[in-house]
Amino acid sequence: MLQKYGLAAVAATLIGVGSSAHAVDCPVKLGAILPVSGPMGQVGERIAETGLFAVEQFNEAGGVLGCPVEYVLRDTQGQSAVGVDAAKSLVDLDGVQALIGAVSSGVSLPVLTSVAVPSRVVQVSCCSSSESFTALAEEGKTEGYWFRTYATNRSQSAIGAKLTVDSGFKNTAVIYVNTDFGVGLAKRFEQDIAKLGGSITAMVAYNESQQSYRAEVTKALEGNPDSLYLVAFPVDGATITREWLALGGTDNLIVNNSLRSDDYFQAVGPQFLQNLQGYDSAQPRLPSVDSFNEMFEARFDSPPNGPGLHSVYDAVTVVLLAMEASGDIAGESIRDHIRLVTSPDGIEVHPGPEGIARAKELLAEGQTIRYVGATGALSFDRNGDVQAPKMTWKLDGDENVETGYLSTAEVAELIRMLDE
Amino acid sequence: MIGLFSYIVFFLILSLIFGVAVLGLNLQWGFTGLFNAGVAGFTAIGAYTMAILTGPARDAVFGGFELPFVVGLIGAMVASGIGAVVVGLATLKLRHEYLAVATFGIAVTIQLVCLNWEYLTGGTLGLIGIPNPSKAWADGPLAQNALYLLVVLVVVGLTFAALERIVKSPWGRMLKAIREDDVAAASLGKSPERVRLEAFVLGCMIMGLSGALYVSFIGYVSPWDFLPIVTFQIWTMLIVGGSANNRGALLGALIVWGVWTMSGFVISRVIPSEIQAQGGAMQAVLIGLILVVTLLIRPRGLIGEELHVSRHARS
Repeated sequence: MLQKYGLAAVAATLIGVGSSAHAVDCPVKLGAILPVSGPMGQVGERIAETGLFAVEQFNEAGGVLGCPVEYVLRDTQGQSAVGVDAAKSLVDLDGVQALIGAVSSGVSLPVLTSVAVPSRVVQVSCCSSSESFTALAEEGKTEGYWFRTYATNRSQSAIGAKLTVDSGFKNTAVIYVNTDFGVGLAKRFEQDIAKLGGSITAMVAYNESQQSYRAEVTKALEGNPDSLYLVAFPVDGATITREWLALGGTDNLIVNNSLRSDDYFQAVGPQFLQNLQGYDSAQPRLPSVDSFNEMFEARFDSPPNGPGLHSVYDAVTVVLLAMEASGDIAGESIRDHIRLVTSPDGIEVHPGPEGIARAKELLAEGQTIRYVGATGALSFDRNGDVQAPKMTWKLDGDENVETGYLSTAEVAELIRMLDE
Repeated sequence: MIGLFSYIVFFLILSLIFGVAVLGLNLQWGFTGLFNAGVAGFTAIGAYTMAILTGPARDAVFGGFELPFVVGLIGAMVASGIGAVVVGLATLKLRHEYLAVATFGIAVTIQLVCLNWEYLTGGTLGLIGIPNPSKAWADGPLAQNALYLLVVLVVVGLTFAALERIVKSPWGRMLKAIREDDVAAASLGKSPERVRLEAFVLGCMIMGLSGALYVSFIGYVSPWDFLPIVTFQIWTMLIVGGSANNRGALLGALIVWGVWTMSGFVISRVIPSEIQAQGGAMQAVLIGLILVVTLLIRPRGLIGEELHVSRHARS
């Protein structure tokens, strides 16, 4: 049984091989490595479908260089070894020159170092937030093949620190979730707040899904902080906040965007949260975003609420535009053209079949373009990272009200100032 | 064709690295009857030791000694061995399912330590930039991978030869005697506790070796590489291949990893793209089905233990 199965698979392989896609062979393949099963399966499945949606729209506009685009999806099962193998198989057996994915950093990074960079294939992730990618890029080890359309934690800690200091808080305690996301964010916050003139009284990590966080809260209360910066998710975040207030902690709370949720407000009680402030990635106020939201709703009968949906759409579209602009579809030229289709002084183009058709016309005329997509205008820095606009909010009664808005340019300026 | 060849090289590297860990487990379960459900934990110790010994220096993280690859391999085995002595002394009085539960808990603990002890392991961010020795000696991904495959083959060959020698030695026969009936073995003046500890430590050292080979190849290590699913995969490889047979252990690694990855490839080819997002579930079903069918047809694994009274007595 096994031998037979193996033979059939090898035969299938042999038939499939033979298009190492340097000359433009139809169809053009785009690889996607996403966790459609396993612990991230629920999230991954919607991301995978949205990726396909982006490919379909591109095909409606005529595909890449006259070829239809084929979206080849492989499951990572949330496991690094499986993801690495899937990526290698896409590159070697399907001849893809660009990979979309993965979701968790623990899978994306091994894929990048052991497949994408050595094979000179572009990798664009919708969702990986780890700071390790930026560090790797700074060392030159990504060779420019890494991009992500997910706005990094960099801007979140910056705006969090700015909000804290602008509110007049001097001594802040930090409690954060012990994942790559929480650790990266908290560490940056610590640096940023020092730059802005605030100070930290305690940095306390917590592990997810515990019954009580009394020990962590007690530790964070040492040093009499006048404010708490909380990086948490709603369930654990509510436990921590209740214990914090019960043990006499201040109600001057600054919370990460992951706590901008009714579940959290109701679990704690909004009456206790009237001095709570937060920030979030603002949806940019742009027609391109609205038009994406409408198209998505028309296709899936539900609004695009959920992690990674806007950013995977843009990841796919930017890669395909770069393929179109590159003339051939080799990984190296895709890499070199990604910034040319998102150039700040290019002619603006929008998502959707019409926008893409227009983009292709402009590219054919030799113009530079600026793709303004589902996440707004993307501007990749030299490490392949992007920024997003931010908003600040607070609770007024039960209402979640906006208190400020920083555009992408203002966010970039704030970060530049902090990084100096 | 080059693509296919390149992929096969890559596939062999990963499956043989798993194979090393399966050989380690085979010594413990196959020959000695120790139910170690903490394989992922011991590969993690080896992997992090490799990363610390051979990786580049980092701010705020211990290690980065930039030592040679071979030192890393030896260090990984030593560290896993030390870990195994500690764990073994504490748990080896337990039998069967009790040992399984204890070792499973230890593996989870080790994974949590990796997640939280930032100074040593880099925490959730992991450790990046771990050198792959083949990159210094060859150019281009295919040549580098082929060279690394050679390294892995040498390690697998040495491990295999050493284990074959060991299990055929008087000490190896003693392992089987203890596995079958430790009271009888003790009545002949053997010390089952001591021998069990020795086999446990040796097996864990081999698992550490496997972890070390993995991080050098991938160039990155994070706690997410050592979730309990890894233990499950390695166990499946051993059971499908045939426990108490080192050839079976390696064959099981190739077959099970092959099924695991090929199923994804086949799904991506045969399922129309509109419903591929649901393909993940089908892949899981396919993997499970193939494994169950194999075990129904060959309950003792593809090549099980060779039964003989004594290798000197030919019948």
